[in-house]
Amino acid sequence: MEFLDKFPDLGRTTLRDIKKSIDFAFREFSNQYGEAIEGFFDPLLYFMVWFEKLLTNAPWPLMILIFAALAWLGARSIPIVIGTIVSFVAIGVFGMWEDTMATVAIISVATFVCIGLGIPLGILMSRSNRLQAVVTPVLDVMQTIPSFVYLIPVVMLLGIGKVPGLIAVCIYAVPPIVRLTNLGIRLVDKEVLEAAEAFGSSYRQKLLHVQIPLALPNIFAGVNQTIMMALAMVVIASMIGVKGLGVPVLRAVSNQYLALGLMNGLAIVALAVIFDRVSQQYGKRLQKHRQGGHGV
Amino acid sequence: MNKFVKGIAVAGLATAMSQGAVAACGDVTIAEMNWASAEFMANVDKIILEEGYGCSVELIPGATLTTFASMDTKGVPDIAPELWTQAVEVPLLAALAAGSLHSMNPKPIMGAGEGWVVPGYTLANHPELKTVLDIIERPDLFPSKEDPSKGAFVGCPAGWGCQQVNANLFRAFDMEAKGWVLVDPGSAAGLDGAMAKAVNRGDDYFGYYWSPTAMMGKLNMSMVDFGVPFTEMEHWTNCITQAECADPKQSAWSASEINTIVTDSFMKNNDPKAAAYFGKRVFPASAMGAMLVYMGDNQAGGEDAAIEFLMNHEDVWTPWVGVQAANLIKKSLN
Repeated sequence: MEFLDKFPDLGRTTLRDIKKSIDFAFREFSNQYGEAIEGFFDPLLYFMVWFEKLLTNAPWPLMILIFAALAWLGARSIPIVIGTIVSFVAIGVFGMWEDTMATVAIISVATFVCIGLGIPLGILMSRSNRLQAVVTPVLDVMQTIPSFVYLIPVVMLLGIGKVPGLIAVCIYAVPPIVRLTNLGIRLVDKEVLEAAEAFGSSYRQKLLHVQIPLALPNIFAGVNQTIMMALAMVVIASMIGVKGLGVPVLRAVSNQYLALGLMNGLAIVALAVIFDRVSQQYGKRLQKHRQGGHGV
Repeated sequence: MNKFVKGIAVAGLATAMSQGAVAACGDVTIAEMNWASAEFMANVDKIILEEGYGCSVELIPGATLTTFASMDTKGVPDIAPELWTQAVEVPLLAALAAGSLHSMNPKPIMGAGEGWVVPGYTLANHPELKTVLDIIERPDLFPSKEDPSKGAFVGCPAGWGCQQVNANLFRAFDMEAKGWVLVDPGSAAGLDGAMAKAVNRGDDYFGYYWSPTAMMGKLNMSMVDFGVPFTEMEHWTNCITQAECADPKQSAWSASEINTIVTDSFMKNNDPKAAAYFGKRVFPASAMGAMLVYMGDNQAGGEDAAIEFLMNHEDVWTPWVGVQAANLIKKSLN
């Protein structure tokens, strides 16, 4: 009966020894290679520090102008440009300018890193079913594992600050771009590919001139999702010392400062909406142009 | 369905019978704060109240300010075993005066306190660093990762009661002009991680921490004397602990005040013997330190540590409870 009532687990001592040995092994690893790994990321850190300083020190009217121009280039829509300007002015008026710039800095760098890693990986995945079978479960883990779990090893290895924050953000934000790049390329019509082959396209030409262009709407949906998920990680990243809108949110949460939390939360939402609309509109425009060209 | 109900009835009866020997104590909620020593204390209290006095205890996880706010306004949880009172000084004094909360034990842990710490080897390698005043002249020893020309002082995570104090003392000691940056570690995990990483690598480190903690013992951190006396209490409570402090004065960290706070309804509705237990429950620094290192080494939670403590430190806890309760607790452990 006892066998059924209580799950026959490994027992406290064995479990403890297993946990201890894993921790010990990781600590050894961190002692041995931590400094080297940190050194590897140093250029990225200096770039991020420089970029954040650039954004926070630039005159605010110039920054608003740049954001408005980017919104116009992306969306070509007057309402979105006006919305962008109003949001950033409101953020400034409510005293959240510096935190917002710090957040924009880390989110932009994170997005570029994620795109730079994610699109090539997605392309590779679309070429090989075996790689897809290996990478897909890894992506599932990255998206569902509670972020605090991987924060521990990241902090032990790299300490607190921008680089560990960036890694934490990317672990969560990179899966959609990989998935959608893979999906987009796989969804390209077999007949179109056959036609390309019939015209004697090389492997490279097929990829660069047929598959990627046709997959662009999907890839753009991935970029959009990656930006959204990176923004969702702002508060978590602040828990390991990343400056930005997450810090006041944390302060508000532990002190029940309703207004402070709401204001900074809404600033994150405003950033999300702007990034979302601009990148979506840009994706749509890409699609429209293509559809028009083919007369569909 | 029927079977299920019966099952519950039987289980209920069994619990009732096992507790039949002791006076009814009723339902009690205990705050389990989110750090190791408080988790441990909450679980010790839970086992002692349940087994020794027949209470039905529920642990409620929380942080200092949230838990206190809930106790103050809603009367739940009933007991905060380890409340660091300075963070909530003004409303706490008001509640104590009004009688809605009661102080049970103004010193539940011996030798507890907050302050600024450096690793033991930093002091050994630089014997000239005797006080905080000496350390703040040497930002070059503690270079910040993001801007190596400045020294990094790791303060308190955003939202903790101590964050404001660190920020104000940082200003009082004029540390920015001396070439320091105040680093916000973001969370408890960030603060611990930053300190553990630095010590594991043998780097010098300067930051805020408190005792009793497994971290202090395990990493062999030393609390540094401030080199200036404690400013008067009035300035501390009205300026240094406040966000709007125009001119903070240099000061040592105030001696820590930890208290076991209970609600009025607990005093009125529950076994008075259980309430008396809290008055006697004082953890010696050595026992507390040993349990915290045990928790860290074995990755034990508060409950495991509480059982370990009750089994191996009988001499410490038996005087806290009556003979009858002590026997019941010992029986339950076997």
